[in-house]
Amino acid sequence: MATQLTPPPGSNAAQEFLHNLRHLPQTFKDAWLRLGKVPESEREESQATFHNFFLHIHSVRVHVRSLAPTLTLGLGLIATSSFIVLCITGVLLMVYYKPSTELAYQSMKDIHFTVATGRFVRNIHRWSAHIMVLAVFLHMARVFFTASYKKPREFNWLIGLALLVVTLGLSFTGYLLPWDQLAYWAITIGANIANSPRELTDALGITAWFDPGGFQRRLLLGANYVGEDALIRFYILHVFVLPVVLVILVSVHFWRIRKDGGLARPEDPMGGGAEWGGRVRPVFQPLATKTYGLMALVRGRRPPVNRGPENTMMSWPHLFWAELAVFMFTVLISLALSFFFDAPLKEIANPAIPENPAKAPWYFLGIQELVSYSAFTGGLMIPLVALIGLALIPFLDRRPGGEGVWFGTPGERPVAWQSALFGFAVAVGMLAFTVNFGWLRSWFPRIPQLVILLINPGSLLVLLYAGWSLWVLRQRNSVRLAAVALFTCFLVGFTVLTYFATVHRGPNWQFYWWPSQWPVH
Amino acid sequence: MNDLSRLYRWLLLGTSLATLLFLSVAAVQENFFSQWQVLQRQYRAILKQKATDARGQELYRNFEIELRQVSVPELRAVDRCVTCHVGIDDPRMTDVRQPFAVHPGDILEHHPVDRFGCTVCHQGQGPATNFRDAKAEDVYWDYPLLTAELTQSSCLACHDPEKLPAKQVELLLAGQKLYQEKSCGSCHQLKGRGGNLGAALDDVGSKTRHQLTMVNIEPPHTTWRWHVAHFRDPAGIVPGSQMVVPPISDQEALALTVYMLALRRRDVPESYLAPDKIEEKYRELHPEPLVGEQIYTAYCAACHHPQGQGSNFPALGVRAPAIGSSDFIDVASDQFILATLEAGRSERKMPAFAAAKGTLSADEAQGLVAFLRQRAPRAPSLAEVERAASDRALGEQLYQAECAACHGDRGQGTPLGSPLATADRRAAGRAALHRALAEGVPGTAMPRYTRFTAAELRSLIDYTASLPTVPGSRARWELGQGDPNAGRELFQKICAGCHGDQGQGKTGPALASHGFQKAATEAFVAATVVRGRAGTPMPAFGRASVNYPRLTAQEVLDLGAFVKRGLGVKLQASQPATQPKTGD
Repeated sequence: MATQLTPPPGSNAAQEFLHNLRHLPQTFKDAWLRLGKVPESEREESQATFHNFFLHIHSVRVHVRSLAPTLTLGLGLIATSSFIVLCITGVLLMVYYKPSTELAYQSMKDIHFTVATGRFVRNIHRWSAHIMVLAVFLHMARVFFTASYKKPREFNWLIGLALLVVTLGLSFTGYLLPWDQLAYWAITIGANIANSPRELTDALGITAWFDPGGFQRRLLLGANYVGEDALIRFYILHVFVLPVVLVILVSVHFWRIRKDGGLARPEDPMGGGAEWGGRVRPVFQPLATKTYGLMALVRGRRPPVNRGPENTMMSWPHLFWAELAVFMFTVLISLALSFFFDAPLKEIANPAIPENPAKAPWYFLGIQELVSYSAFTGGLMIPLVALIGLALIPFLDRRPGGEGVWFGTPGERPVAWQSALFGFAVAVGMLAFTVNFGWLRSWFPRIPQLVILLINPGSLLVLLYAGWSLWVLRQRNSVRLAAVALFTCFLVGFTVLTYFATVHRGPNWQFYWWPSQWPVH
Repeated sequence: MNDLSRLYRWLLLGTSLATLLFLSVAAVQENFFSQWQVLQRQYRAILKQKATDARGQELYRNFEIELRQVSVPELRAVDRCVTCHVGIDDPRMTDVRQPFAVHPGDILEHHPVDRFGCTVCHQGQGPATNFRDAKAEDVYWDYPLLTAELTQSSCLACHDPEKLPAKQVELLLAGQKLYQEKSCGSCHQLKGRGGNLGAALDDVGSKTRHQLTMVNIEPPHTTWRWHVAHFRDPAGIVPGSQMVVPPISDQEALALTVYMLALRRRDVPESYLAPDKIEEKYRELHPEPLVGEQIYTAYCAACHHPQGQGSNFPALGVRAPAIGSSDFIDVASDQFILATLEAGRSERKMPAFAAAKGTLSADEAQGLVAFLRQRAPRAPSLAEVERAASDRALGEQLYQAECAACHGDRGQGTPLGSPLATADRRAAGRAALHRALAEGVPGTAMPRYTRFTAAELRSLIDYTASLPTVPGSRARWELGQGDPNAGRELFQKICAGCHGDQGQGKTGPALASHGFQKAATEAFVAATVVRGRAGTPMPAFGRASVNYPRLTAQEVLDLGAFVKRGLGVKLQASQPATQPKTGD
């Protein structure tokens, strides 16, 4: 082929020019794609991966286990895919959105009613955001229950946690932008949570001198109320700061996956491969006669050099089929949801008409339930303790084993079931007790707030879960199982609280069996 | 391995095709089949049908299928209603179906669509481009589309409704009139005037459905459905509501609802105001003082009854006194009424109508007092009295019941009342006695006796004149001084049961309250103690009764002194109570 691209010898400049012009498509393709054709050999497939800017972060070969849909459920990819969708639809929305309290709501109405497919684009943005948050939560659970945070992937677990926080931040900052009642009152709640250290400083009587709550709130809102300053702050965070931070963190996250040796998986049996039913071709002959160029250094206990059959496949095209399929799957889900369900837009923000109940976005409702007992403990302390606890897991549970296998540690599955049951029972029991009998303030109206700050359903829940985890630690003599117990309890507790606050909390945060029983306003 | 790969490839193919399908359906639906596009195509067909002359053909040729909107920045309106109501200002569109018909009436001649938009009068969601969202009855929008008969409520924003053709604003005018007639101002403030028992109504039309209790309203939950139902049965709509509404018809409730919807604080630029509206605003800023009867109808009649007979509100446990009856008006001095108007009665339902709060100016308050006096029953004139028959037994009975407590059973006078049977009093003649009885003596405990007939007055005057002359002279008589300490004991014994041991009020009114202390003089207290208050449990301590001892004049004085000086200590420090003048 290359010979055809050079002009015939002896041609003059005009002929050369015409020749080059004729071959422009081919030469441009060569220049663009480097390989220039569909890869035919494994060597060319490697190059297709390796020599492509967007693909080269993948390894050239990928383990079959990593490709199996049952290991990862594609959750990380779903989260990434929805982020890509969010970026594209977000830019489209930015074209019409005006970040000012005077114009924001009107521009939402314009997007909804007059921009061609504007309503649809906004729906996709909204649904993708929900999908991303959900996928990030589930991804974390997947990584935990497949013990994939273990050495050498501790640091990537931390980055993952940072990504969780940034994802929630992105979703929360986007919440204010429509400037409707839903936005205004949800952000008011958020600002009050930021303000909640005052609950502690007020109880200690030191707010006049030391007021971190007020500082946080002003930092968030740029004023003492939710207004223009808050809107601009949230807008900048939403369309610039947080997406950039997220892109950087995601890049590092991916890079570390590669450098930490791909997705976590158990060691392949030496010289085996039978377990895969002979479906896997050996890539490296034992005692290979080949020489190797050093492509990259990856971590791992054994270099995949000079040993028997590996259970790997070429990334091109198998991995990329998988990735594209998951991407399109994510797109389809958000499209389908957007086609049938409109993103909510309530009345224009009105500080004089409080929403009752004013509810945060669904993923914060579990926390809002805790906030209803004590803003400081429920809104700041418990989430902070939970985050610190999550961050410590890979550093406290360092015994190898079970990586890349669902419930891979011996005895893990029963512990997870028992913990789920315990976490469910305790959370439901606590809620039922509180709804039926109230809490300290209803029995002792004059009790100091400091006591409630320390002893409330939220903090008791955390203590009971921690106690359960310690009991498992002693009983089963395994740090991993104790971690499983604690994580499962928190996951189940969080789910129960979220469900409870979504369905059973009505006006004035009163208990109702169904929203249809709410008094109408 | 290839079956795994095949799974992903099939998934990719399937999801991609489905995605394409959704995208194409959405694109076609949004770009070709949205409600307004379909409607505009229909309208174009109508235009073609009606293109009989050159002008019509030009309109047809130039018609494009596009989103239309009227943007009126001054009114903050972006109204896309004309996207579907395309024929709204085309006079040929009289025989076509909605939404293509021309606007009824000649309203648009004065309110061109491109200058006023639509929602400024009709409300509803202007930015919407489909009927459900535009009507906004069950979507998230503060002000849903007004029904045809309610639309007149919008006229008030720019017009003085009195100056509009009465037929167009029938309900609005009726509602405005009902508001005055039914004396809504007794409890509700409007433009700074009125009582404070209910909510101020200046911006009630701006309320959204979220600000009203909709529990007992069948959907759709519009504010006007709430108003109509609420006017018929306030407590049935808002549990615990204390609002009292006289019985009104459905039509009256609707008229009042229109008026309520009209009451909105709207920022309408001056250039949009009708000249008469500017005059109306000027009149608001420079109000003509109301005359007594207007004030009474607008602000008093709801509680005190249009004829002053008082009303009973058993549900509220409230009794509004009959301020038109002689029991009240005979005893209450001008100063007492004025002070009550000024400060209201704390712990009672009577609100303050103080000039400071902008409700009644000092002149208007005087006018109201004058109206109450003028309407009050009058005692028969001296001539009528002299024509009537005299009955000594009746005269004696009346004297002992009404006069003896203060003036002594023989007319010899007491510390509370001057002697009547002295020589110098006789010299003053019957006319002076008649005047004192008919008009009372201002500033003293001597009330009017308007409820007496001519015969009763004649008998009383004759009886008084026939009393044997007693020594002493009226000129040398002085009002006795009460002793607050003696009064305190008496108060604890006979008053505290109802008025509270500190005068804080229990079943009876609070006597230590600022309002009472400001309004009542010692003479008023004394007169009330002696005569009691008809229609209330307050007994007359000047008469003997089974339940209560008859108090002596000195005891009454002591009580008055204690109530004004013992209970009202704080007040006295800054403002000494006026002593009753020495009087007849």
